Amino acid sequence: MKTTIKLAMAAGAIALTTGIGSPALADITITSWGGGYTASQQKAYGESWEAKTGKKINWENYNGGLGEVRAMVEAGNATWDIVDVLPDQIRTGCDEGLFEEIPREMFIKAPDGTSIDDDMMVPLPNNCAIPQIFWSYMAFYKDGTFTGAQPNKVADFFDLEKFPGKRGIHTWANALIEMALYADGVAIADIYDTMDTPEGIDRAFAKLDTIKDHVVFWSSGAKPLELVTSGEVAMSLAYNGRIGAAILSEGAPFVPIWDGQVLEEEWLAVIKGSKNKDEAIDFAMHASAPQQQAGQAKWINYGPMRKSGLAIIQANEPWYNTGVNIMEHMPNRDEVMPASIFANPDWWADNGSEISERFTAWMAK
Amino acid sequence: MRARSGFPALLFYVITGSAETMATVTTDQILTADGTPLKDSLRRSLVRNKLRAVGLVLPALLFLVVMFIVPIGQLLTRSVDDTLVNEFLPRTFAHFEEWDQKDLPSEEMYEAMFLDITTADKTLLGRATIRMNYELSGWRSLVKKSNREFKKIKSGPYKEVMIKVHKRWGQIEYWQSLGAMVDEYTMGYYLNSVDLRYDGNKNVIEQPENRQVYQLLWWRTFLVSLMVTFFCVLLGYPVAYLLATLPLRISNLLMICVLMPFWTSLLVRIVAWMIMLQQEGVVNDAIVSLGLLDDDNRLEMMYNFTGTIIVMTQILLPFMILPMYSVMKGISPNYMKAAQNLGAAPSLAFVRIYIPQSLPGVGAGVILVFIVAIGYYITPELVGGKDGRLIGNMVAYHMQTSLNWGLAAAMGLVLLLGILVLYWVYDKLTGSAGLKMG
Repeated sequence: MKTTIKLAMAAGAIALTTGIGSPALADITITSWGGGYTASQQKAYGESWEAKTGKKINWENYNGGLGEVRAMVEAGNATWDIVDVLPDQIRTGCDEGLFEEIPREMFIKAPDGTSIDDDMMVPLPNNCAIPQIFWSYMAFYKDGTFTGAQPNKVADFFDLEKFPGKRGIHTWANALIEMALYADGVAIADIYDTMDTPEGIDRAFAKLDTIKDHVVFWSSGAKPLELVTSGEVAMSLAYNGRIGAAILSEGAPFVPIWDGQVLEEEWLAVIKGSKNKDEAIDFAMHASAPQQQAGQAKWINYGPMRKSGLAIIQANEPWYNTGVNIMEHMPNRDEVMPASIFANPDWWADNGSEISERFTAWMAK
Repeated sequence: MRARSGFPALLFYVITGSAETMATVTTDQILTADGTPLKDSLRRSLVRNKLRAVGLVLPALLFLVVMFIVPIGQLLTRSVDDTLVNEFLPRTFAHFEEWDQKDLPSEEMYEAMFLDITTADKTLLGRATIRMNYELSGWRSLVKKSNREFKKIKSGPYKEVMIKVHKRWGQIEYWQSLGAMVDEYTMGYYLNSVDLRYDGNKNVIEQPENRQVYQLLWWRTFLVSLMVTFFCVLLGYPVAYLLATLPLRISNLLMICVLMPFWTSLLVRIVAWMIMLQQEGVVNDAIVSLGLLDDDNRLEMMYNFTGTIIVMTQILLPFMILPMYSVMKGISPNYMKAAQNLGAAPSLAFVRIYIPQSLPGVGAGVILVFIVAIGYYITPELVGGKDGRLIGNMVAYHMQTSLNWGLAAAMGLVLLLGILVLYWVYDKLTGSAGLKMG
């Protein structure tokens, strides 16, 4: 009896120390999206930072949004040090004072000495943002789905007559409004001006109406690949990284449609009041250096935000870890830029909430 | 007196129960063996008992306060608090009452706005404009851009230059929208949660039609919960009956069949349903290969309302079966035998004798399933598709993405209040015997 109690107590003590101890053993906690994306971050710059500094990183996953971050900052108890955020969240988060500001001179310069501001493909939106990657929403289908002419532009995604079959789209409005307007004939340069008018939004929803009855909605990134593979839908929108990973690693017969892809930014941010602020900033500078930016593309086909990062990849193809070229899967390579839409996060930070309500109403009706 | 149950009852007896006993001790001085008056000794021991009882419930009480009452209090504050904008725009709001809201405001109000923006603390400006953006989309970038440009402006008059900096300063609806934020406390979030809003004069008006979504989602949430509860009763009652009446050997096996899915990860079960029910899924494949349907007319059972109902029913079924089972287990088989002995047919005996006795378990199951169902959002998000989304999805959206915690809090409280009202109605309808957890 006594031994059982002792055993139980010992087990409890071990559980307690490991439970509380493991995050404390790590020097910084980084919260990201998990899966192949976090893996690419770990391999590209997590492991090298750990080797360089002898410090440990605790990687956590989350489902996006700033809810947890705001709660942490308000409670004055930041349990994360760095978070990987979407474009509108880096803006609202910095406005709300949820992130630490980082002096520009701390960023590591490009190999030729170019400063961070001149090395960025899009300007840094504020002093909190630490460059990560570009990713995109794009349409794709499975080879062999259509006979004869093959779809090659986003307008084809909205063309049920020429390319019959169901369509997979996500359950929120980002990128859909832009794609609908582009498919409806609005020039890329005019898309956000059009979206600033009520008529423009009506026009986008009218375009979406044309495929409404043939839509299957998805909300998690792996779903569109399943939908297309199983034949549940003929074409779907998806994150370019998911499509690329399936093609590169599994040889999936997917055909991406680069025309009309919507490019989104991805940033890192140091959480305000981080208990390991110095380490976290040191890590962030390492992670945003050109070499590491390029290194991430060895593991996932998301594009570096720094021009010098992209240059390293171009100069060293085949760059992907399996020994194949990666540039043709990069969302921000030169060839696809003319027909790509850069998402305007300021527009979405302003109008996201209202559009979200309208989009939910549209889905429901 | 009606039977009380659970935690409030414990408190009730601790506070009032023993006092009633004490009132009956009215004799002259009776002494106990050690010479103290019986009355005193009794009182002392009663106080001791009472303290012990209070000590026992104290942890539960503290838990309740910390985990339940305090957060709900915070929720309540958040859902009406609107002090942020007042802190940000004190000068502008000082002039607001004088303005007739028909034409663009006066130069003084423009100047007040200019000063409010240029002197505001950076974080306050950020937080307040995000709040203002909920009222009218566009406030955020308007103030942000203005804040950058205003630094170059040294002196007035301000009206003209402000409109030059951003055309929205010349659009009256932005000034009018301030009217809804003038007071430090607002019911605006509650209005938003049912597709209403304030205009500039604090009159309640409807949201523009294409933004109206919450009323629809409230009704759908209610309907889904009701349907799921109904199907759970329908499917769960026979199972619970078998569990309670079959020989132990078989019923144990059956119990494991009920509990296994209960212990399985929610996501695993959802994905399994997807594989089963999607158009290229197992069920459809089987139907098509049996020739019951041709390949072009496969059933749509997933990513819609039907899918939500099916999956939620399966997930919540154990919450219905277990309380029903525990009540049915306590029903003596002798009642049924007696009824049949007295001439009732088995079916009549079941309806008149067994069902009424099992109702408390059904009641508990209904309340449990309904309350859990009404707050569901992960399952609808994954299997709901276009018309399976519920109000919980919008609460999650406003907590996580839009950061409109005021609206999320208001919706949460409406949900809580709705459940309390339903519970009260249910309690009135069924009386005190209506609920029994086992």
